[in-house]
Amino acid sequence: MIPSAAPSIDWRTVFMLLPQRRFTAAELARAVPVPLSPTLKTAIAMNLGLMAPLLVWAFWRRGAAPTLVFMAVFFVVVAIAGMSAWRNPSGTVARVAYWVMPVGGGLAVGMLLSRIGIDRLQVAAMAQLVALGVLGLWFTIVHRHQYIEMRLLELAERERAVEMAQRLASAQLAPHFLFNTLASVQHWVATRDERAAPLLQSLTRYLRSTLPMFACALHPAADEIEAVRHYLDVMQARLGARLVWSVDVPATLRAVMLPPGLLLTLVENAVEHGIDPQLAGGRLALRARAEGGQAVFEVQDNGPGVNAPRGDGIGLANSRERLLLTHGPAARLELGPAPGGGCLATVHIPLPT
Amino acid sequence: MNTSEPSALVADDEEAPREQLLAALRQAWPGLRIVAVAHNGADAWDGFLEHEPDICFLDIRMPGFSGIEVAQRIGARSQVVFATAYGDHALAAFDAGAVDYLLKPVEPTRLLQTVQRLQARRRNDPAVDPLQMQTLLDTLAAQLKRAAPLTVLQAAVGREVRLIRTDEVVYFESDSRYTRVVFDSPSGPGEALIRTPLKELLAQLDSAQFWQVHRSVVVAQHQIAAAVRVDEGQMHLTLRGRPEKLAVSRHFQGLFKGQ
Repeated sequence: MIPSAAPSIDWRTVFMLLPQRRFTAAELARAVPVPLSPTLKTAIAMNLGLMAPLLVWAFWRRGAAPTLVFMAVFFVVVAIAGMSAWRNPSGTVARVAYWVMPVGGGLAVGMLLSRIGIDRLQVAAMAQLVALGVLGLWFTIVHRHQYIEMRLLELAERERAVEMAQRLASAQLAPHFLFNTLASVQHWVATRDERAAPLLQSLTRYLRSTLPMFACALHPAADEIEAVRHYLDVMQARLGARLVWSVDVPATLRAVMLPPGLLLTLVENAVEHGIDPQLAGGRLALRARAEGGQAVFEVQDNGPGVNAPRGDGIGLANSRERLLLTHGPAARLELGPAPGGGCLATVHIPLPT
Repeated sequence: MNTSEPSALVADDEEAPREQLLAALRQAWPGLRIVAVAHNGADAWDGFLEHEPDICFLDIRMPGFSGIEVAQRIGARSQVVFATAYGDHALAAFDAGAVDYLLKPVEPTRLLQTVQRLQARRRNDPAVDPLQMQTLLDTLAAQLKRAAPLTVLQAAVGREVRLIRTDEVVYFESDSRYTRVVFDSPSGPGEALIRTPLKELLAQLDSAQFWQVHRSVVVAQHQIAAAVRVDEGQMHLTLRGRPEKLAVSRHFQGLFKGQ
């Protein structure tokens, strides 16, 4: 036996020298959305249409009927298997043909050879035809398989790039926020109001903490909370007494890894939909605790509540998706009514054991 | 109100942008009289009813009513200029519909252009088609998602807090800082005082169900029996099965035109 350290022989591949991956119908539809084009179909039909009479003419003589019947059958098999392999190179038809064509072809050639009186040259030509057909099929399968695999990879790559771009675009640089803040800064600078410097400092800190944030898939809760604090500092300066906020996250949970912007998005939503619509303003709290092997982060406001419209929900769906990607289904993000009115967003993150 | 210099209202819920716009306006248009400064949409609408300014500068995102909703209510009775920060989804619609707007932070040159346009429009016919403007505002307001309207009011009556369903309310009347609620519940008619000022309450009511007929009166539409024109410029409402007559102020007489 081969030592276990050495690479073992994959007997399946030995007996079927084809890529093993099977494509699902969805993958095929994604990678090859268009069926065999009419142009290609016409070209194949013309080739066969020209070749068939040529072959009949070349082989035609007394006693050649079995040869011609065999060739006709073989061509039909090649056409069916080839078309099927083109459509789905990992499909059963292609795999069955991979074996049936050489074996069937070989048997037929062998049987013809064993019959006395048949021209050996003719049989040799037929054997070559079978070999050519088998080789063609094998090449079709491998080429198509590789093409579809690469195409799927390319599509996935492109999707990731688009998602990343969207994530960056939806990152906290909401122009509305930035320009509204700048309006305050500008006015307070012009009027020599002493609130200008702290606001500008908060804005700078906010930008410094959020701009590099989206470069990585995960970052520690401590970084996220810093960004949240700077955001709330900015909003505090702008809204004044209308915003009352608190952040309470125990030191033990500050190393928990989070998708960047997760809590910030929830806090922004709470300000926009919980605090802003209230004439008298409102309260916002970010809390965290460890509970049953999970870190639980909560963002609560005392606004009009969860039934009030919360934008288009894209931010929330996006956050859920990213949470699923980074932490799997054990992590949850829920939005519900807060005790005593308002909205409560809860994030559950499994803690490493 | 026939002073030659126009009057204006400025509404923004944030202090600094509001002050900045006021300062910039004083520079760009020294003759403009600022008659009202509002800190939210409810105040802006109330300020319009009280002062009837010629021009209203409205922030789009405000609590109470949004700037769009205030402009909808004002209609063609005043020239409206919106103020908003870059990135607001309404901007594209404004550009297409030739609506006046200012971007925050306000640029003096841009403000000067707007001021010149407003002045030119005061001399000539209004360039903005009011019907087109109203359609545009309706579309924008429909995109705005509002919180569900109030269904229950809480009124302190002596030592108890009574819950009054809004569908039992006949009308609301402003009473200095309070609002008097006149209702007709299955257990009989009554009235109560609630602490929310009427102008703030208005923003939380279903505008299809409750009609404002006066700066200080909001009536449940299904309780109205008739609108009676007393003489030129005066109108009052009679209610179903109730003796009160409610005055309809000039701004709201358009609600009762007859078919």
